[in-house]
Amino acid sequence: MKARYGGLRGWVLQRATALYLLGFIIYFSLHGLLSPPASFEDWRAWMQSTGPRLAALLFFVAVALHAWVGLRDIAMDYVKPLGLRLAVLAAVAGGLAATLTWAALTLSG
Amino acid sequence: MTEPGPVPKRPVFLQPLQIELPVTATVSFAHRVSGLLLALALPFLVWTLALSLHDPAGYGRVLAGLQYPPVRLALLVLAWALAHHCAAGVRHLLFDAGIGTTLAVARRSAWAAHGFALAVAALVAGALW
Amino acid sequence: MRLSIFRYNPESDTKPRMQDYEIAREPGDRMLLDLLERLRATDDSLAYRRSCREGVCGSDAMNINGRNGLACITQLDHLKEPVVLRPLPSFPVIRDLVVDMTRFFEHYHAIRPYLIHHGPEPQREYLQSPEEREKLDGLYECILCACCTSECPSSWWNPDRFLGPAALLQACRFIVDSRDQATDERLEQLDDAYKLFRCRVIMNCTHVCPKGLNPAAAIERIRQAMLRRGL
Ligand code: SF4
Ligand code: SF4
Ligand code: FES
Repeated sequence: MKARYGGLRGWVLQRATALYLLGFIIYFSLHGLLSPPASFEDWRAWMQSTGPRLAALLFFVAVALHAWVGLRDIAMDYVKPLGLRLAVLAAVAGGLAATLTWAALTLSG
Repeated sequence: MTEPGPVPKRPVFLQPLQIELPVTATVSFAHRVSGLLLALALPFLVWTLALSLHDPAGYGRVLAGLQYPPVRLALLVLAWALAHHCAAGVRHLLFDAGIGTTLAVARRSAWAAHGFALAVAALVAGALW
Repeated sequence: MRLSIFRYNPESDTKPRMQDYEIAREPGDRMLLDLLERLRATDDSLAYRRSCREGVCGSDAMNINGRNGLACITQLDHLKEPVVLRPLPSFPVIRDLVVDMTRFFEHYHAIRPYLIHHGPEPQREYLQSPEEREKLDGLYECILCACCTSECPSSWWNPDRFLGPAALLQACRFIVDSRDQATDERLEQLDDAYKLFRCRVIMNCTHVCPKGLNPAAAIERIRQAMLRRGL
């Protein structure tokens, strides 16, 4: 069996993460609009409560996966020389992994 | 008669600006651009989040940053990008479910996606200035 | 009427150029092809393909004022002047408006455009209910003119590996055909990063198809079939 992440699997991954991201963005913007944090303490307390924290963590995981599929698609379309493409993909993967780690550390700290 | 030489390298006509670009194509392109912008903004988002959660001073710095015109402009562009990416994304999800795939409906939803993104951008601009 | 036509003769030109023409319209000229035929009577170096002159053979596909279409069913009344004629975008130009369709037909053959039947052939004809037959509507009418594939940005960026809307419409036509027994293999074959999944539903294909078909919707139908099979 060939693992064909670029085909149906990548496509499903993109759609599944999109659904979660959409839900999170709506939830987060509504919360920000309806009860904006009054102070630093308020904001930190909210972000450190279990629900929002887990939701935010999952958000960054989903965003990283979603962005990976999308950026990979862009590279496949516009970056033709193989070496350059691999370099771009490696940079994208590294950047996303670093961002995700940073976000996870921030949210768990 | 001359010998048949090697097949000459054939020219290709491909100047996207000379080719008609329907509204569905502009939405698709904007979906790409907005996605790229959002991806590039991701590290800044995490940075802002970390700063705002660090201590009251950091929280204050984030709020103070909103006063700078360049920051506001960046926020405006990102708000447009997020709204567009979401609207065009919902359109994609509906397509995948087999909804709205006729040309007429797809054109209308394309205009709607553009309109929604501009409306959100206008609201954000109003809130920022 | 004023026309501006893409000219390229591999024997004398190193690169393509645009040539302006002026020709009076006559009462009998209704379609663009009518005018082209008379133009060629005055300049026999001008090359383009045509055969049926009624929109069924698909040979006179070209880029007309920036949009792909068939010259024989494009009404002159609807055209802005000067009428700019170029060969199908992204296809290698053999001469003037004549393009090399080799790759296009390779993609077509790659989807195996014929019924595949395992086991013994039926004694008589393949039977199909009216409902099953109806599923092929909007798919079988394709005349393989390449208007769609040539105007598809996903085909522009990956012309060799993305099959393009025309071939994928045909893939759909055989995937949904109740008489075909290779549905699984067909779906399996299309499940990679390039052949089908480069399509981002830009819908240029549907926008230009001179037969009013909807390759974008057909591609979405294939994706749904893949999803159902995967679950
Ligand atoms: S789908 Fe339409 S545009 Fe594409 S090849 Fe068939 S008839 Fe031509
Ligand atoms: S819908 Fe798909 S096949 Fe049709 S033009 Fe767009 S990318 Fe190409
Ligand atoms: S000449 Fe046959 S389709 Fe136009």
